[in-house]
Amino acid sequence: MRGSFEVLVSSRRLQYRFTIRRNVTVIRGDSATGKTTLIDMIQDYNENGIDSGIAIKCDCKCVTLGSRNWQRDLRELENSIVFLDEGRRYVMSQEFAEIIRHSSNYYVIVTRERLENIPYGVDEIYGIRTSGKYGELKQSYHEFYRLYENIPYGRQGMNPQKIITEDSNSGYQFFIGAFEDRECVSAMGKSNIASLVAGFSEPVMVIADGAAFGPEMERMTEIMKVRKEIYLYLPESFEWLILKSGLISRENLQAVLANPAEFIDSEKFFSWEQFFTEILTESTRGTVYQYNKKKLAPVYLHEVSKAKILLQMKPFLEKIGW
Amino acid sequence: MSQLLNIYYGDMPEAVFNTEVFFKNSYADEWIVDDFSKQMIADVDKSCVLGTGVIDSPVLGKIAPERLSGGVKTLMLIKFMPEMVFNASTCGNNCAKWLLQIAADEDRTVNLRNIMNFGEDPFELKVLNTGQVVHSMRELLPIAIEYV
Repeated sequence: MRGSFEVLVSSRRLQYRFTIRRNVTVIRGDSATGKTTLIDMIQDYNENGIDSGIAIKCDCKCVTLGSRNWQRDLRELENSIVFLDEGRRYVMSQEFAEIIRHSSNYYVIVTRERLENIPYGVDEIYGIRTSGKYGELKQSYHEFYRLYENIPYGRQGMNPQKIITEDSNSGYQFFIGAFEDRECVSAMGKSNIASLVAGFSEPVMVIADGAAFGPEMERMTEIMKVRKEIYLYLPESFEWLILKSGLISRENLQAVLANPAEFIDSEKFFSWEQFFTEILTESTRGTVYQYNKKKLAPVYLHEVSKAKILLQMKPFLEKIGW
Repeated sequence: MSQLLNIYYGDMPEAVFNTEVFFKNSYADEWIVDDFSKQMIADVDKSCVLGTGVIDSPVLGKIAPERLSGGVKTLMLIKFMPEMVFNASTCGNNCAKWLLQIAADEDRTVNLRNIMNFGEDPFELKVLNTGQVVHSMRELLPIAIEYV
């Protein structure tokens, strides 16, 4: 499935309106915000249709997934938005991750667990808030909000001398070359970043793929609340930065970058980072910019290339005093 | 002397994971009308207990105890079933102060599978994974992130 979907779920008392943009959306936040109530409403509608007193408006089917026979149910579902409430232990399993990896469905998962097996995006972690009441029926209106819309930065202009990247692939190789007067450290995997950062006392900049960094966000932002000089830069991915830079030309590229959801098939790409890697690799094959995720071609560190890529980071770099 | 909140981070097979279902089949009427429960329900759910079987919610109307938030239901399980361990990651950060208050009167052990924020005021809790007693998020975080 591809595209983004507006969802409206309503009853006499309640209305939820939100947009699902990627294959995996996570809902968490405080207790008593209406997460379980939303899932219950969708389940009531699934089981009773119009008799439920609930209306759902969406261009694709919205269903809930229970605890029993979940593997069988998942295999039978296609092109649907599947909602899961917390309390489903299997959501943490590798088996669940493997099944949804090759599924045409989108998933909305209520959980405070990390779900480290699932590479969900930082932008698709939401809380629910009540925005007011509508009309004479005093219907409460609920909407999703991005939990990490405004990542809490420390003091501006701290000029961190240390950079941490997720791994030692092309991105790391680029940042070593681009910031050669700073120390660049590979965390050897995104799940190691929080521990690594916690061990440093000096200002540090973390660069990671926002498209798959969701499982790390709670740990990172909690550390950032007690350690003020941590700066988090989360582009969709390093490949996305290159594509945005204008270095590479490709038919339809601007349209893809403006609205990736319309082009990324959930059955083929578990995370958007994989999609951007594929189109960068395809677009540069046989050219001087031939992209290899494991080893960065030297051309990307030529002055013009470097400047174009770094220009995409300019607002962030200015904020930290570079 | 105040008692301690004991936390085990990460997977804990003996802990009740799905507190929603457990509450539905285990709660007692007197839990709902207990003064401490009433305070938790008022604070977390912004709702008023009218009787053992009815709570007045500003959003949902008159509801049964089963429709209280997952967080409040888990808090009540922790409060009234001290011999058991529950998955407290079904509680949001707005339940953290209540966890500490429950354990202020009598030791409690809970299972946490995420980083709950216990706020900026000093507190005392024990991380069972390491045996360390901590007093702030600054002390707690480096330990917790190793397990969840």
